[in-house]
Amino acid sequence: MEAGLIAIGKGLAYGLAAIGPGVGIGIVGGKALEAMARQPEMAGRIQTTMFIAIAFTEALALLGFVLTFLL
Amino acid sequence: MNPMELLPEKIAELVHELAVLPFDNMHYEHPVVSAFVLTNYVVWGIIALIVISTLFILVANKEKRALALAETGDVTVLAPSGRLVGMLEAGVEFIRNLAIDVIGAKDGPRFVPLLGTFFFLILTSNMLGLIPGGKSIGGTIGGTVALALISWLVFVWVGFTKNGFFGYMKSLIPSGVREMPLAARIGLGGFIFLLEFVSTFIVRPLTLAVRLFANLYAGHIILGVFSAFVLLFIPITVEKLQASVGGVAVGAVAFVFLLIMYAFEVFVAFIQAYVFTILTAVYIQSSVHASEH
Repeated sequence: MEAGLIAIGKGLAYGLAAIGPGVGIGIVGGKALEAMARQPEMAGRIQTTMFIAIAFTEALALLGFVLTFLL
Repeated sequence: MNPMELLPEKIAELVHELAVLPFDNMHYEHPVVSAFVLTNYVVWGIIALIVISTLFILVANKEKRALALAETGDVTVLAPSGRLVGMLEAGVEFIRNLAIDVIGAKDGPRFVPLLGTFFFLILTSNMLGLIPGGKSIGGTIGGTVALALISWLVFVWVGFTKNGFFGYMKSLIPSGVREMPLAARIGLGGFIFLLEFVSTFIVRPLTLAVRLFANLYAGHIILGVFSAFVLLFIPITVEKLQASVGGVAVGAVAFVFLLIMYAFEVFVAFIQAYVFTILTAVYIQSSVHASEH
């Protein structure tokens, strides 16, 4: 019983933690694409900044991932 | 016999295969906890180190010979050529441009060796981890924590030497808050200082380590699960299984997905090496220019 609840909790912890960053990375990627389409000559710098922004957003999902293993 | 009955057994085998074990006894019962054991991941890390240093030393020697010849006046050999030379030169130039773009033209070149080592070591190790039976240093939390710790030490050291201890600590508070009235400065400033302190000194290295580990571990698990599906549903590998068109079809679909995921993992190997390098560069940049914001 308890093991089952822990398994459900693990699934929920990671699943819920992935919602926000998923939306966030989508926004970052979409906006970067818009910017690159508007100014192709800036594509290199936009891409660099995009990866940095994605990395910061992704950190939240990773904390959920760690929690899954800690539970 | 239902192939799905064998799945839990295969998953257990997979998790055991990915565990940190002593290198000379891969089927040791328990994962390793002690720090001073040569594990399978350490051995594969050393192999990655040997591979990448050999490549670079070979190319560097070739360039040195070409330069020596060029000084004698033979202009035809001025430019070192060859696929390997071109590939590694492009890689080094990529890292150099990254360092100059992110850190700045003045301080950037100093950190090219560090960033280059991170990038090429992680990339080689990730690629070796994609060979069946191979391990990537990113596949275990110990390896990534070690890399993140080096990155952390460097950016904290740079912050302290560039700004002094108090200068670096003060730079954690935004300059706008520092000009506010005294009460707001103490209340808001203290709060922001706490937040920034935790995010700079704890969350940064933690996410650096966990990001690499999580991406690679998840990739290995996915590849392993698809391989297990292929092995389970193709009846030649399991004698007791009856051959059926449906079983073979499921196996074939799993095999196609395995190939697609494998290609995706090659892409992830590049992206994660790049993200680790660029984040280290960004953190160093924020330490170098700490007093400006």
